Amino acid sequence: MQDKTSRPSPLRGAQSKQETAGEPNTGGGLLAAHLLTRRQFTAGSIAVASGLSALGSACTGCDTPARSADTSVRLHVNGTRAEVDIDLRSSLLDVLREQLQLTGAKKGCDHGQCGACTVHLDGRRVASCLTPAVQADGREITTIEGLSPEGGPLHPMQQAFIDQDALQCGYCTPGQIMAAVACVREGNAGSAEQIREYMSGNLCRCGAYAGILAAIQQAAPEIGGT
Amino acid sequence: MQSFTYIRPSTPAEAIAAMAGGGPGTRFLAGGTTLYDLMKLGVEGPLRVIDITRLDALARFDTSGPHELVFGALARMSDVAADRRLKEDYPALSEAMWKAASQQLRNMARVGGNLLQRTRCAYFRGGAPFACNKREPGSGCAARDGMDRGNALLGASDACAAVYPGDWAVALVAFDAVVDTLSPRGERSIPLAELHREPGSTPEVETTLAPDELIVRIRVPRSGAGRGSTYHKIRDRESYAFALTSAAVAVRLSAGVVAEARVALGGVATRPWRSPEAENVLLGQPLTEDVAQSAGQAAFAAASPGVHNAFKVELGAQTITDALMIARQRAEQP
Amino acid sequence: MSHPDIPRVDAREKVRGATQYTADHALPGLAHGMLAVATIGRGRILSLDTDAARRVPGVRMVLTHLDTVGLQSAGFLLGGGYGFQSLQPLLGAAIAYRGQPIALVVADTLEAAREAAALVRATYEQDAISVTLDAPGAEILAQADSPLPKPAFADRVAGDADGALSAAATRVDATFQGPPQHQNPMELLATVAEWSRGELTIRESTQNAEALRHGLAKVFGLAPDRIRVLSPTAGGGFGQRNSLQAHTALVALAARELGRPVKLVVPRAQIFNNASFRPASRHTVRLGADASGRMVAAVHEIDHQTSRHDLFPLSYADLTARLYGIANFRGRERLVRNDIQTPGFARAPFEHIAACAFETAVDELAYALGRDPVAFRVANDAATDPLTGRPFSSRHVVACLERGAERFGWERRTQAPGSMRLADGTLVGWGVALGAYKAATAPAIAMLRVTDAGEIFVSVGGHEMGQGIRTAIASTVAVDLGVPAEAVNILVGNTGSVPQHLTAGSWGAATALPAVHKAALNMLRELERLAGNGPANRTFQQILRDAGRSHVDVEARHHAPGQPDAIFDRVAQGLPAAAGPAYPDFVSMSFCAQFVEVRIEPRTRRIRVPRVVSVVDCGRVVSPRTARSQVLGGVVWGIGAALREVSEVDPRYGGFVNADLAEYVIPVNADIGTIEAEFIDEPDPLINSMGVKGLGEVVMVGVAPAIVNAIHHATGRRLRHLPVRVEDVL
Ligand SMILES: Cc1cc2nc3c(=O)[nH]c(=O)nc-3n(C[C@H](O)[C@H](O)[C@H](O)COP(=O)(O)OP(=O)(O)OC[C@H]3O[C@@H](n4cnc5c(N)ncnc54)[C@H](O)[C@@H]3O)c2cc1C
Ligand code: SF4
Ligand code: FES
Ligand code: FES
Repeated sequence: MQDKTSRPSPLRGAQSKQETAGEPNTGGGLLAAHLLTRRQFTAGSIAVASGLSALGSACTGCDTPARSADTSVRLHVNGTRAEVDIDLRSSLLDVLREQLQLTGAKKGCDHGQCGACTVHLDGRRVASCLTPAVQADGREITTIEGLSPEGGPLHPMQQAFIDQDALQCGYCTPGQIMAAVACVREGNAGSAEQIREYMSGNLCRCGAYAGILAAIQQAAPEIGGT
Repeated sequence: MQSFTYIRPSTPAEAIAAMAGGGPGTRFLAGGTTLYDLMKLGVEGPLRVIDITRLDALARFDTSGPHELVFGALARMSDVAADRRLKEDYPALSEAMWKAASQQLRNMARVGGNLLQRTRCAYFRGGAPFACNKREPGSGCAARDGMDRGNALLGASDACAAVYPGDWAVALVAFDAVVDTLSPRGERSIPLAELHREPGSTPEVETTLAPDELIVRIRVPRSGAGRGSTYHKIRDRESYAFALTSAAVAVRLSAGVVAEARVALGGVATRPWRSPEAENVLLGQPLTEDVAQSAGQAAFAAASPGVHNAFKVELGAQTITDALMIARQRAEQP
Repeated sequence: MSHPDIPRVDAREKVRGATQYTADHALPGLAHGMLAVATIGRGRILSLDTDAARRVPGVRMVLTHLDTVGLQSAGFLLGGGYGFQSLQPLLGAAIAYRGQPIALVVADTLEAAREAAALVRATYEQDAISVTLDAPGAEILAQADSPLPKPAFADRVAGDADGALSAAATRVDATFQGPPQHQNPMELLATVAEWSRGELTIRESTQNAEALRHGLAKVFGLAPDRIRVLSPTAGGGFGQRNSLQAHTALVALAARELGRPVKLVVPRAQIFNNASFRPASRHTVRLGADASGRMVAAVHEIDHQTSRHDLFPLSYADLTARLYGIANFRGRERLVRNDIQTPGFARAPFEHIAACAFETAVDELAYALGRDPVAFRVANDAATDPLTGRPFSSRHVVACLERGAERFGWERRTQAPGSMRLADGTLVGWGVALGAYKAATAPAIAMLRVTDAGEIFVSVGGHEMGQGIRTAIASTVAVDLGVPAEAVNILVGNTGSVPQHLTAGSWGAATALPAVHKAALNMLRELERLAGNGPANRTFQQILRDAGRSHVDVEARHHAPGQPDAIFDRVAQGLPAAAGPAYPDFVSMSFCAQFVEVRIEPRTRRIRVPRVVSVVDCGRVVSPRTARSQVLGGVVWGIGAALREVSEVDPRYGGFVNADLAEYVIPVNADIGTIEAEFIDEPDPLINSMGVKGLGEVVMVGVAPAIVNAIHHATGRRLRHLPVRVEDVL
């Protein structure tokens, strides 16, 4: 097989995608069926070809960005320890996103009103937008990125969200999944009614609530209330 | 948000000392779900912040004591809500917790901070250009002739009719809770009923606490009406919303009539609102739906509604009635 | 060709938090922006004090209207331009609405930008404002007399409605008020702008990448080919992202001046007051039925809000004229000019509230006639389009009603209001309403490549915002080429490839899929040609290798029936080019029937919706799983719009008062009971090769009126406004 990354992208700006598909399904058009019978079929990982990555360094003549770092905190994020200089005013959400490049937690309101920024702090789900980062000093933080290993199997809750199509745009999804995992661990996933109540701190404007309920019901037995 | 200095004491004494040395513009920070939120909005701008969340000694609570329930000021709302004994013995106190905010926020927020949450009046939170006496004393009250659907019918003044938005304090006031505080002047106890002030002509002053006073615990004397209690909360959606109207009620029945009655209202008053009027209607009566209705009506006899919130007279009365029916059922269970 | 039930193709990335939305981009040297906004409702800036803001450590720039010389407005999307409104903030001192930006602060950190933006001070000269439909000073303009293009925005008329109405045996005359509401997609509006060698790259979640590109080209006087817009995935759109936002050009300007990439994430409160929203509307509906109970006349008069600076056209009667076979119909639409930002499209923008006004009146008429609401609707179905006389390409309204009634158990309903009360006093109401939505089509170009390594790439005009367009495209290619859906790499929302027409109006699938399908067929033909007389049973990779080709590219174009090929020029310029529902030979619409149960508590009167059955005729269902999710989401929107959502206006201040997600109440999980979705799943024989009509919006239409009708059934009260809240039923 050829080295995919050295190939020019066939379409300008094609996003890279790494997925290996199984044996092709031959149920399609007649011709297609006989064209695609044997070969294992790999969708390549395509480097962005049109100079996108070069653009980022175009900071000509600007000073070194200043950061009014008031203090430094020790954050234990997803099992890794990091010493981070922070502005005391920064929320945990902004530090995760802007300084640690952990952008899985999302900002939907910045005022504790939507749940998109949900992460686990010492094992409890919290709204990271209303958590001053300095309060997380020395605490264990788990974000969606830490829920399952990169490239490894998904957490049962993540798989359940796929299976139940418990998402549309996906923007609320990291927060929903972090809340859902906590909901089960807390023992608050005992009934449909209880799940709905304890998942009500996570708004989903796409309206995927029925799927979210089903996903939690699917994953709960695998996770177990601990 | 303006910059501030951050101090993180590890004992209550250190916290008090830090506060004493801080001068005006110093604030305690617990879960931050009120304070940090308002700092982001520019409504609060403390110069020094004393983070009290590591005062571990204040994080414990005990619902098993023979005379009173004791809640350290830094107990988390979620833990209190989940306490089995509380659910059984004082369902109103537990329900007022789990029906508040969301689990994420309840994991952050502490019961002491909870008492001191500030109004959700949109003109207060919205900042410029809205006139708001609470935010900027003397600037006027935009809610008065504006969107007052969320405003108070009880305890309001010309200067301000902002609702006290919390749930738990409403349940606590029904049970005659007491707040213990610590300050450089020592400890004192304040009945919860006296912790919050009505706005009067100084709506910016919301409590009777001194600025350097730290709430260390909340105590609830045991009551025979605990099991026969509920916190009933009506909102614009099923969950994750503040109360339109709420009622904390507790009853003890004896020989078919009400021997002990506790009624407090939320969502409709400028402070956690105990209603002796409703209680007096109930005492000595069989708890029928009609009696409950009368109690509900009595609670709102003195209400002075504004433009968009008049419906809360009826809704509030019905909320009390429903709550009393739930409480009766619980009180009748052996 | 039946379409397999495949998982959403981008779900894996999404559940891992790996999908990159606008604000997730980290670029070296990135600076952060924050807007300062006007606090008056209308007037002009007299002075601006930015000194304090500039003194905040880390602040690099404060842009005001004094710094924008040479820039021009991109124009209004519905006025030949590209913006959600024609007013580009910071081009002058005039303030048209509260919340209009007056400065953009850029700093090294978000905290500094935020602090500094709060320190920008302005003094103003204030004018009186009028911000509601009935406020003094609101100018009313009949759409028929407006400069808006005709016949698109002419009054909808068939027969003699007023004459037939006065002769009718039974009449109802009802009004209805629709509140302003906000789309509130969960992803905040945001932009990352970056310049390199005079070329601009914009990362912004949008439904209309091409309009951003051409709009910015106009603002900056740049050639469009020097601008690239990337919007691979949006965190919801719902109409609010359909054009150039008020802030985008300002972020680009700041990035250019600073020589650094700049990111702005607009706070939710500012979005409420500086982006499009569903305007307030008021409706009068008059219906008449003859002695046999047939509807013979309907009049629907509508006023809705627009801004002083733009005419946001109305298109309500275009729907209501086609819900039934009413021979005599007159629509009249008027614009009311207020001191607000220009309102715009929000999921089922006209149809949701038009159907609410009309379908509650139809219910009232059914009751006046003593008819069952389902049977009455079935009896009044249309055979042909009342406005044009043309046939419908497909119309399964009766099937929707009948299947829905069966699934819901409608035969157990008793007609009298209040008659289904439970033992504990709970009021039960069952309501029904029809929904419909134009089956529109926009032109699209699709490019397809297969490589000798077995890769498949599709690029087509379209935007993914959660509706599942990627999954539908993958499914189409998978079925056509006989490959697994995961093998298909999809490029949408990227102006670097084929033109990216606005994705809205539920035309996304009907636009992209036929083009993709055609490209796939072209590919098969091309491969067949390459295979020539060579050995059979080769994979396409082998065919390519044997032919000495590294890849094969094909392209296909598709446009709406009746559109000239020149329509692609409009697409290339980033202008809207959709057609429908009236095509030369037929009219094409999606339909649905919504069945709702409400329960109302006996004393406190909380209204709950435990059960909804939604039966949808959207043509062929290409992606069953994502289609079902669309229905569920549309029903949730309907519940929110009916019972919760209103953007509160204080006429003294302008703007919106409840500008956050705590006070603007959208449904939470606990609000949602069971929702059953069912599809007719009959391919439309005329509209396009795939037989797909639109889905994303029709699914919301009819939910709110079904709820209002159910509340009537429960309580006997006819409510004539949204949202219906507890105070309305006490
Ligand atoms: C979106 C949202 C929804 C909400 N919904 C509800 C609801 O439905 N019902 C409800 O009841 N509440 C609700 N809340 C409010 C929430 O419960 C309170 O914000 C929370 O309880 C405050 O506790 P905290 O620990 O976060 O306080 P903080 O924000 O840390 O502090 C609040 C105030 O108390 C002071 N303070 C804190 N602790 C002490 C102490 N020990 N001694 C002296 N002063 C102290 C602080 O200086 C500050 O002024 C909601 C909040 C949000 C953001
Ligand atoms: S009611 Fe009170 S908080 Fe609200 S605007 Fe008036 S003064 Fe301010
Ligand atoms: S972003 Fe934190 S709750 Fe919305
Ligand atoms: S999936 Fe879009 S907001 Fe939940």
